[in-house]
Amino acid sequence: MHIFLLVTVFKEKIFWLNNIICLILLWCYILDVCNPLMRMVFFHQAYFRYIVMVVVRRRWFQTPWEFRESSLGAALIVVAGFILQYATSGQGVPPLHLPLNAVILVLFAVLTLGVGLGFRENRLVQWLGGIPLGLSLIVALALLSLIGGVIPQGEVAPGSLPALLGVNQIFSSWPFALTVLLFLANLGLSLSWRLVPFSMKNIQFILFHAGFWIALSCGVFGSPDIQRLIMKVDEGGESNMAYSRESDSEQQLPFSVFLHDFSLEEYPPQLFLYDPRKNHALQELAKTTTLVHKGVKASWKGVAVEVLDFLPNALPGKNGIPEPADRTAGVAFAKVRITNTNAVPTYAWISSISPMMKPWAAPIGELLLVMAPGTPKAFRSDVTVRGESGQLVTATLEVNHPINVMGWKLYQMGYDDEAGRWSKYSLIEVIRDPWLPAVYLGFFMIMAGNVLFFWNGIKQKEVAS
Amino acid sequence: MNVDFNTAAKAAIGCWATGSLLSLFVRRTPILKLPALMLSFAGSLVMVGFIASYWSLLDRPPLRTLGETRLWYAALIPLVGFLVEYRWKIAWLKFYCMGLAAFFLVINMLHPEVFDKTLMPALQSPWFIPHVVVYLVGYVMLAASSVTALHNISLQLRSKGNVNGESVSHYLALLGFVLLTFGLIFGALWAKEAWGHYWTWDPKETWAFLSWLAYLGYLHACRYKIDRGKLQWYLALSFLVLLVCWFGVNYLPSARNSVHTYTQS
Repeated sequence: MHIFLLVTVFKEKIFWLNNIICLILLWCYILDVCNPLMRMVFFHQAYFRYIVMVVVRRRWFQTPWEFRESSLGAALIVVAGFILQYATSGQGVPPLHLPLNAVILVLFAVLTLGVGLGFRENRLVQWLGGIPLGLSLIVALALLSLIGGVIPQGEVAPGSLPALLGVNQIFSSWPFALTVLLFLANLGLSLSWRLVPFSMKNIQFILFHAGFWIALSCGVFGSPDIQRLIMKVDEGGESNMAYSRESDSEQQLPFSVFLHDFSLEEYPPQLFLYDPRKNHALQELAKTTTLVHKGVKASWKGVAVEVLDFLPNALPGKNGIPEPADRTAGVAFAKVRITNTNAVPTYAWISSISPMMKPWAAPIGELLLVMAPGTPKAFRSDVTVRGESGQLVTATLEVNHPINVMGWKLYQMGYDDEAGRWSKYSLIEVIRDPWLPAVYLGFFMIMAGNVLFFWNGIKQKEVAS
Repeated sequence: MNVDFNTAAKAAIGCWATGSLLSLFVRRTPILKLPALMLSFAGSLVMVGFIASYWSLLDRPPLRTLGETRLWYAALIPLVGFLVEYRWKIAWLKFYCMGLAAFFLVINMLHPEVFDKTLMPALQSPWFIPHVVVYLVGYVMLAASSVTALHNISLQLRSKGNVNGESVSHYLALLGFVLLTFGLIFGALWAKEAWGHYWTWDPKETWAFLSWLAYLGYLHACRYKIDRGKLQWYLALSFLVLLVCWFGVNYLPSARNSVHTYTQS
């Protein structure tokens, strides 16, 4: 065992004292008073009026390897990743598709288990699967995620330094991929030692760590296989073409979607003060205004507005008084009383907007009181999906309620924002992720492990008291 | 937020303040112990009652905006303090907790938010409540863990031994970590239903992952030979990452396209 002694004598440099203290410390060390890791010992002796600081240190690469070697390993893997990223001109990790990625993942898992079980006593393997390396890699992953959490992710000019280093797409960059790979190896090795020999005592560890391994590896290896495409389907029309966000080129799907009807429900409209000269809505009124309904009051800088009447669906009628109308054509109307501090109250009808009708607004000084349509509450598409072999599925798509059809998941995504509830088409996102069941298996294992963790934690607490 | 909030907040703060004041005299006059506890507890009850009425008024759980989540923290954080006192006989934590809760309420009183009943379609999901509640309780635990760790550090600096305090901060962090994990996975499962993918490295997700990693690191360091006393610093500082995740993300340059910014538009 190597001991590195650093002795600093303050106040007076008395060398013979130095040597004696070294001898005492050596003696302490032999008596196992000192920790073999690293320890600082402070000696205070008022009589000699000096302080001696002694550091007992491990040397680099002294077995067993611990945090210093692990931090170096983690740092090297990150640096190697950035070099690789730079050397490949910021290309990032080439996407591997099924079945190649699955084969590589299985080989990696088998290799990890084989090495873990076959070379259990090997110091290097023990280090590779140990907590110090695991912790260092957690820190490395956290730092890489920090880059992704601070620097906006997305396209930048190719050839620029961020693009060459991959910091704008950190989660598909080489440094991230290599760190995850080493992390998976570390996790896999520690897992192999708990799996064999199997014991029920280890079940919580196994569920959490294996679940994390499966979710992380399948999420990372499977990401190139995810297909996310967008379909635009007109009301009364059918389509089997979709385009991706990244490229506008259309591709054909193995099924077609017929849109029977698109419908949108809104929350009640909101009152705004609009400045026609500056062309923007003033927020002051909006902040104090609730959603419009009969009896609502709002005030802004000495102007008070009260809603006396509210028609959710109406059209302009005779004499400037709106009349209730069908929902497909009508817009919201409200009768308001506007009171200025030192003037007679004025009464006016205001309305929200539709593609067929300009809004009615009420002047307040140089400003306009307007009624903006309510925000969307729900929107849905009634569709029939037809597969290549003729099978039919009829369903309603809604946000948060996707449907599963022929291995694809269909999501209500959007509509014609300009037209709002009069939109004539629906945007549907179609997604295929063959790796999803594996990732979910991992999630549920983590949660099962967590329940045990929670339970055992509470039981330990009982013991601790 | 409506007028009732100010009354409720003042009532709650009043209860906590008088409760705390009374408990200062408990050592001299033990008969005050029960009323002190009841008053402090009543403060949280007032907040729970307010949340319930606010919920029915809004027709949706008040969990969407930061201001609304602060209501929950104000109700729940003191409860953690009482629980710790009951379980570990540590009395000082509840004062910090009530102070923190009062601080949250004061922020809300100074910044009355838009009274807005609308809930965008993506948030109308059965996952909404479990996802947010699990995170709320988790954050509460980790906040308490961080406060306990800071207290432990101050004891260390004054060279006072404190094994009990270290186990409190440890178990709070442990429970908090389990809840963070649930919150993260619930969020992923919900994201798959609402946005089509369980993980998109949205800034909020990235920061949630970072804070999860921070506590994962703590648990592994604890498992290894690292001194629990030194780890109190780690616990105290980890909460800063959580704070960024909770408040700070919206101000980061990376957040311009986040699906978690609801109040900007």
